[in-house]
Amino acid sequence: MNTFLLKKGTPALALLGLALAGCQPDIDAPGIDKGSADFTKYVAVGNSLTAGFGDGGLYREGQLNSYPNILAGQFKAAGGGDFTQPLFTEAQLNGSGYLRFTGFGATGSPLTVNVTNNLAVVGAVPTRAGNQFTYAKYLDPINNLGVPGIRMSDIETPGFGNTALNGGTFLAPTPIFNSYFERITPAGSNQTYRQRVAASAPTFFTFWLGNNDVLGFATAGAAASSLTPIADFTRLANGILDDLTANGAKGVVATIPDVTNVPFFTTVGPSFRASLPATASVVVTTGPVFTGTGAPTRKTIPRDDIRDANGNGKQLFTLTASPYVTLYGRTNNGKAWRDVYAQARPSLPPNVDLRLFLTVNGIDTTKAFGASTENPMPSTLVLDDLEQPAVLARTTAFNDALKSKANEKGLAIFDANQFFAEVAARGFAINGTNNTAGFIAGNLFSLDGVHPTPRGYAVIANEMIKAINAKYGSSLQAVNPNAYRAIIFP
Amino acid sequence: MNLKTLLLAGGALLSGTAASAGGFQVSLAGIKNNGMGGVGVGLSLDQAAMFYNPGALAMVRERGVQIGGNATFARSAFRSQFGGEQRELRNSVVTPFSVFAGFGSSDNKFAAGIAIYTPFGSKLQYADGWEGRFSLTDIDLKSIFVQPTVSYAITDQLSVGGGLVILAYGAVNLQRDIPIEGQPGVPGHVTLDGKALTKIGFNGGIYYKPTDKLSIGASYRSRIDATVDGGEVEFKNVPTSVGARFTATEFDVTLPLPATTSLGVGFMPSEKLTVALDVNYVQWSAYKSLDFKFRGNNGAGGLVAPSGQVGGVTSSSSRREYEDAFTFRLGGQYQLTDAFTVRAGGSYDLSPVKDGFVTPETPDANRLGLTAGISYKVNDRFGVDVSTQFIDLQERTQTQDELTAAGTVDRVAGTYKTRIVIPGIGFNYTF
Repeated sequence: MNTFLLKKGTPALALLGLALAGCQPDIDAPGIDKGSADFTKYVAVGNSLTAGFGDGGLYREGQLNSYPNILAGQFKAAGGGDFTQPLFTEAQLNGSGYLRFTGFGATGSPLTVNVTNNLAVVGAVPTRAGNQFTYAKYLDPINNLGVPGIRMSDIETPGFGNTALNGGTFLAPTPIFNSYFERITPAGSNQTYRQRVAASAPTFFTFWLGNNDVLGFATAGAAASSLTPIADFTRLANGILDDLTANGAKGVVATIPDVTNVPFFTTVGPSFRASLPATASVVVTTGPVFTGTGAPTRKTIPRDDIRDANGNGKQLFTLTASPYVTLYGRTNNGKAWRDVYAQARPSLPPNVDLRLFLTVNGIDTTKAFGASTENPMPSTLVLDDLEQPAVLARTTAFNDALKSKANEKGLAIFDANQFFAEVAARGFAINGTNNTAGFIAGNLFSLDGVHPTPRGYAVIANEMIKAINAKYGSSLQAVNPNAYRAIIFP
Repeated sequence: MNLKTLLLAGGALLSGTAASAGGFQVSLAGIKNNGMGGVGVGLSLDQAAMFYNPGALAMVRERGVQIGGNATFARSAFRSQFGGEQRELRNSVVTPFSVFAGFGSSDNKFAAGIAIYTPFGSKLQYADGWEGRFSLTDIDLKSIFVQPTVSYAITDQLSVGGGLVILAYGAVNLQRDIPIEGQPGVPGHVTLDGKALTKIGFNGGIYYKPTDKLSIGASYRSRIDATVDGGEVEFKNVPTSVGARFTATEFDVTLPLPATTSLGVGFMPSEKLTVALDVNYVQWSAYKSLDFKFRGNNGAGGLVAPSGQVGGVTSSSSRREYEDAFTFRLGGQYQLTDAFTVRAGGSYDLSPVKDGFVTPETPDANRLGLTAGISYKVNDRFGVDVSTQFIDLQERTQTQDELTAAGTVDRVAGTYKTRIVIPGIGFNYTF
């Protein structure tokens, strides 16, 4: 009888199996629509961020994970065309070289080494600022026009991609060519960046330019480089955006994030502060390291005025200050000033040797480093509260100019400044991972403390997609940022 | 097939299931009840009354043993808020089971019995590399309860009963990826694996059958806190440079298995037809948060590394904030012939999980259940019951913004949709 039941039961089980196969639920894939935008030819205009720069270098992995490349992948589903980048070859995949994370030092600070194999370096051109590398050229048509290091103030500089533009002499200085623009520019051509962009004739573009017009000044602790004048910035930005939209192209304009929120400025200070006795203070110089008109002003920073992880205190130490803050209080220590001299040497008058440099700056390296007015920490290591307002005000002015022009042209705006301020204040969780603006553990910023990781670039791409969808009524899909790497730990 | 082999087969089926009642509760005791939408509180069908309403056991005229097993086929789809393909579970089948044995005094005043069943459980294996991997990759939650029960018929119409609800076996295995990579695409991984301590609760019920055509019942099952003390923590693929942040070897956790209050009513318009209605009220609000404590030192961070670290902390707390929830059940049976009885029913189960709090371990939503069943009486002593349930969870979406607002960023943003099919078979033997 039982056997009979089993025999009868077998077909029933088979039927059940069929029913189960049909049981799998499906969630409709979201529709993808281009809206009023046309992604047929997408061109990315910008600097290192657009090129995919990270870990202090431009290399193939970073290029492949650049936000324009991620965006182009999503555009493709909405009628976007091919997107070509000036990729380094597999044989030269390490490009300019970059930083690799090797572990933590005794004090818990991260250690890095330079990757120096499989580079794309093909030469070195003598310039006023010293020898400058050149990289294997890439002259095919490209869609990613991201040029690391370019400022808005550079876009109309003829010969910006020509090695002949070597900086002139100390008494008759000229601009110096950009190695990355030189890489994508035919030899001998004096085409400007603006001309190159205008000739690209996109149907859709992203535009994220101007960061370096404040960044170089800020990362040098306001001791070198300069802030681009607002009038120049506005004129150049308006001009290049007019070019881009001349044929009705649509696009996104990104604003310039407040650089003081990046790990480059928020990592060393808190740990340095924690290492100091409560009553200690730090003596620094403020402003340019060498004006030739006398010793720079000293500034005394009480310990508790160093900004900590919670935002208490105002003074910011750069990531490059990391090897020097551990020398605090040591007598007979001239390392910081010797290194500053070496960096400044190309821009100093030929007759200024180390002894004169120290004398003019009023330095006596026998005194306690960072703890005496005679041996202060160089201004290059600190962005102090006298220097920060200049950076902030200029960032705001540039962003106002960019947003105003974008609105005039009916372009989408990715307010990177607002976004990264949010990330710095509250973090940015994605699918069970908590991302912050912190160094190493924050996932979003690479080992140079300024440029994003591939995951950071994916987040940027998603935010741009949000802005594009909102402006053009498109329904582009975001990417999963967690599918892009953050820091790789040894 | 004799009873002994059946019992052995049951022993091999120790497992929980993707829940078929809100949260991680499984209501699969009694194959007859399964076919009727899970009603039973207001009925005295058979020995499974020990689970639904121990007060009704004394009114179960037949004394006997029944054993039931179910196969739970859960099929789930997930789409991330951040795009990408649809993710589906790695298919798994789990098999909740139940055994009920009831005995009675010759005057039908007293009845006693023992029940073994699996009221809480969950097993989900997510697709490799799915978007929620840093929240959960696998969960296997098992529990087996043993319940000695007594019941007493105060009058021919009124009976009461109660049982000791013993959490005899409980096991948890939770796995997730750690968002730290030693090489691209290879994140760390942590497994928490532990056995629950034996805990004792109780259930009780009252059953009243004023006429041949109407019966009413009420029952209560107490809360039990399932506690793992010293479960095992195991890490995989954690980069050596961060070893000091992952030193834990043991964990402690407590998971509340909530109290349930039920009311049921049965109508018997004719001898052949029974219709019943149940309402369950589950006090899920006991589940505020899932808190782990970690200890031990695996030496991965060297001699000076702090102990009990999982990601640099020695404890974790994840918000649950469940709400008390109702389940409504309606079902009936009709005796076609002396041998065949057919059943049908349905249930609607309100989710205890609030918007923004859905976790991958319980991708819960309101559930609609449809059931059917059939019994075949082989002879006066032996019968076979077959049931099948189809449970449809409403599609449910939560966005990253909602998670951030709720303080629940340890889970994943996207849309879940789940269906469960649960065929079951039971054998009963009366003596």
